[in-house]
Amino acid sequence: MSEKLEVQDLINVGIFTALYFLIMFASGMLGFIPIIFLFFPLYMPIISSIPFMLFLTKVKKFGMVTIMSIILGLLMFATGHTWVPLVATIICGFFADLIFKAGKYQSFKHTVLGYSIFSFWLMGAMLPLWIMRDSYFAYIRESMGKEYANAIFTMTPVWIAYVMVGVIFIAGIIGAFFGKAILKKHFKRAGIL
Amino acid sequence: MQKEILRSVEANTYFKLDPRTKLMLMLIINISIFGGAIIYIMLLMAAIPLFLLFVNKKIKPALYCTLAYTLAILINEFLVPVTYGILNIFIVMVSGMLYRMMPGFIMGYYLISTTTVSEFIASMEHMHVPQKIIIPMAVMFRFFPTIGEEARSISNAMRMRRVGFSSGGFFKNPILMLEYRLIPLLMSTVKIGDELSAASLTRGLGGPVKRTNICEIGFGIQDIILSIIAVTTFIGFILL
Repeated sequence: MSEKLEVQDLINVGIFTALYFLIMFASGMLGFIPIIFLFFPLYMPIISSIPFMLFLTKVKKFGMVTIMSIILGLLMFATGHTWVPLVATIICGFFADLIFKAGKYQSFKHTVLGYSIFSFWLMGAMLPLWIMRDSYFAYIRESMGKEYANAIFTMTPVWIAYVMVGVIFIAGIIGAFFGKAILKKHFKRAGIL
Repeated sequence: MQKEILRSVEANTYFKLDPRTKLMLMLIINISIFGGAIIYIMLLMAAIPLFLLFVNKKIKPALYCTLAYTLAILINEFLVPVTYGILNIFIVMVSGMLYRMMPGFIMGYYLISTTTVSEFIASMEHMHVPQKIIIPMAVMFRFFPTIGEEARSISNAMRMRRVGFSSGGFFKNPILMLEYRLIPLLMSTVKIGDELSAASLTRGLGGPVKRTNICEIGFGIQDIILSIIAVTTFIGFILL
């Protein structure tokens, strides 16, 4: 097998990016309820691990995860986020890809770690809350009104950012095991893998 | 007729924009919405995609969008300043979302409902985007409606077996519900994907020769006019 990406790989990337994005989008809809939006990083990596683990069984070459992250970032940008998630997504995807490659896309240990790193891209959508705190809150106050901005402001002190990093990491690990179990239960038995 | 996201048949219209112009408009609208606070610029930004929808004979969605947007603006202007507390938060969430997001969404809807797959690929090639990005993107847009259709069929089949959100099973065991919906969806999508790659290989997608495209794209007078309007608005947005 050559190291170059073939059309089949690219098509797989397209399909799984569509699945991943739709599942993320559907579960993100719950985020309209303001309290749940803080739990988003907890449940999202667990749900979306199922398509991602299936995707990883098809990945054998370097670059597929990176391309997926680039397209995800572009989609995020097109659906009205800032440029921050775009950069964050590409960086996370690239490092996850490196880790997967180190495990030759086979080792489960590397899969768990890589999936956690990949899940960090979720932070990208929230990072403006902390790194551009003043201008972002000015924006929210301007567009959403004072009460909403204050509600968000009191719910997200800076230490939440660190908690969230930890939560995503743990959720990524749980998600990897969960996705693996689901794959074993359904896809291996059905002979799809 | 099957619903499609990027069309495969060309739309019958006199007012045809180059896909690159559409992308630029989308970019400008998204950026200025994120930072914008001046109502006139917001209105103009919403007017551009609505106008485009109307001239492309998408009357029904255009009317719905206009109605929803007008409502959102009115609520934002008159209702938000006079309410307080939890009610205010709720109203702001709904109307603010509509108010901020809708121009971008309408533009996105216009972009994908009036561009054919060939036009999309041709314009990406003109912009020197590498094939490794173009192919997955085209596949992805091709797959959004397919996944929706499959999900609908699965949900129908599951409802027949009384496995659904309405029958109360969801609250008893959410993870099981997730499994019943997601696993069949993944199974069928993977299968469709394999068929798709076989089909596209037969048509020579992986060949070493550079592919040609019979689709003609180019800038016309309407592209220039709209670009000038959009860029002027954007400059106004930056200066103000």
